[in-house]
Amino acid sequence: MITGATSGIGREFAAHLARDGHDLVLVARDRQRLDAAATEGREAGVVVEVLPTDLATAAGRDQVAARLADPDVAPIDLLINNAGLVAPGSLLGAAPDDLQRQLDVNVTAVLHLTRAALPGMIDRGRGAVVNVSSIAGLLPGRSPSYGADKAWVTSFTEGVAVSLRGTGVRAMALCPGFVRTEFHERARIDVGARRGPFWLDAARVVDDCLLDLERGRILSIPSRQYQALAALADLLPRPLVRRLVGRGRQAKP
Amino acid sequence: MPVALVTGGTAGIGAAFADQLAADGHDLVLVARGVERLAAVANDLSTRHGVAVERLPADLTEPGGRAAVERRLAATPPVDLLVCNAGAQVRHEFLDAPLSELQTEIDVNVSGVLRQAHVALTGMVERGHGAVVLVSSFAGLLPARGSAYGATRAYAIALADTLAPALTGTGVRVTVLCPGFVRTESVRGIPAAAAFRQGFLLLRPDQVARRALTDLRAGRTVSVPGVVYRAVWTWLDLPRRVLRLGARLAGKDRRRRAAPPVAHPRIPAPRSAVDAVERPVRS
Repeated sequence: MITGATSGIGREFAAHLARDGHDLVLVARDRQRLDAAATEGREAGVVVEVLPTDLATAAGRDQVAARLADPDVAPIDLLINNAGLVAPGSLLGAAPDDLQRQLDVNVTAVLHLTRAALPGMIDRGRGAVVNVSSIAGLLPGRSPSYGADKAWVTSFTEGVAVSLRGTGVRAMALCPGFVRTEFHERARIDVGARRGPFWLDAARVVDDCLLDLERGRILSIPSRQYQALAALADLLPRPLVRRLVGRGRQAKP
Repeated sequence: MPVALVTGGTAGIGAAFADQLAADGHDLVLVARGVERLAAVANDLSTRHGVAVERLPADLTEPGGRAAVERRLAATPPVDLLVCNAGAQVRHEFLDAPLSELQTEIDVNVSGVLRQAHVALTGMVERGHGAVVLVSSFAGLLPARGSAYGATRAYAIALADTLAPALTGTGVRVTVLCPGFVRTESVRGIPAAAAFRQGFLLLRPDQVARRALTDLRAGRTVSVPGVVYRAVWTWLDLPRRVLRLGARLAGKDRRRRAAPPVAHPRIPAPRSAVDAVERPVRS
């Protein structure tokens, strides 16, 4: 299942996973774009379900959570919490409703859907959740509360990954940097020509992500440029501490 | 007299903030759930320190309670110092925790903090002075460990990191407080705390609040009370601080150039650097 599956990284995940022979459940707001994405998937020869819904609403989150936990339909083996947005404007200029909407999609939906997906996966002894975070969550960023949302996603996913040890189920946070998608246009952010070493293709990001998931990583940072940046920011001590924390947990009776 | 609003202001760290701010000559707005205790603490503070204490009974786990605090923050007399201290913590590991409790944790620690800071800062930037203290936790600085709580605390720290560079030059400050184990009521029932109860890792609420206010005055974004905690944090955080400095310098540079920010329909006219459209990094 992929949320925000009709554009950018989400759409790339759908295409990649369909090529790999995964049946798909695509979640997005726009029915027409969902149908278009579904057609592409079916042309690749896989079964595609669509769930047109808005994750900023409680009803939308409940609907998707119900599909994830439903024991009577094809179980979800891989959940990709990709839907995300940034409220237009600066933090102080933003309308409270826009901020809440951003928070509900970037944070609340990830919490709900992860919580809904995991019990079934643990019962089955396999499965994975990929939460699309951002390199912004690792750096003291300047974007309006977006970096804070993504810091939550990264920290939350790390916590869940530790909980899942020994269950056969995995959780991983994907932390890309700048990716050429329509994300910035939607947020009405002028990012110029979108060229240079820090601009990545969505396809490249998805390839790297799925490779890192296979390797059992907790954090996936596509491209060497960003890996170097993240290491500089704070990753050097963090994995060490994470290991110590994990050991402490395992030692507990 | 300056006005300080403290959420969860009748116990633990919140009460320590209220006491020190009153002693410092602040009028107070105290927010807490329990009406009787609120009255008792308010009376005590106004008697001892001779300040006006406004009582705002509100349950921040309820939407109505959070809305009441937001309304007060937008009202007069204006609040000069906001201490977002109220917090919620689920006692279960993530996989055992009921969704409703996880949601409450997010509502109080994430949504509530964002919205309160947003309302308060908007007024403060207009007035050209003010400060916000976000009470997070040392847990927010460490990799999370099976519960979703640490992530809500990492949120507040990252929020302060986002806000601090944006606020340079506005006369408004933000500090995030990251205490370790504190001798308060909320420690009870956490087994890990028992081990530290007698130890040097256990902090006193007054010590924590004092450190936060000192760091706020000194313009530090992150406040870590306690020598041992601070040593660990310094080790964890060194490269991050270099970046924070970089972000601040970049902010100054942008203001100096005074380039007109990208026009945006929601904001009629750019007020200051805070309104400059940022370039968030994309997920």
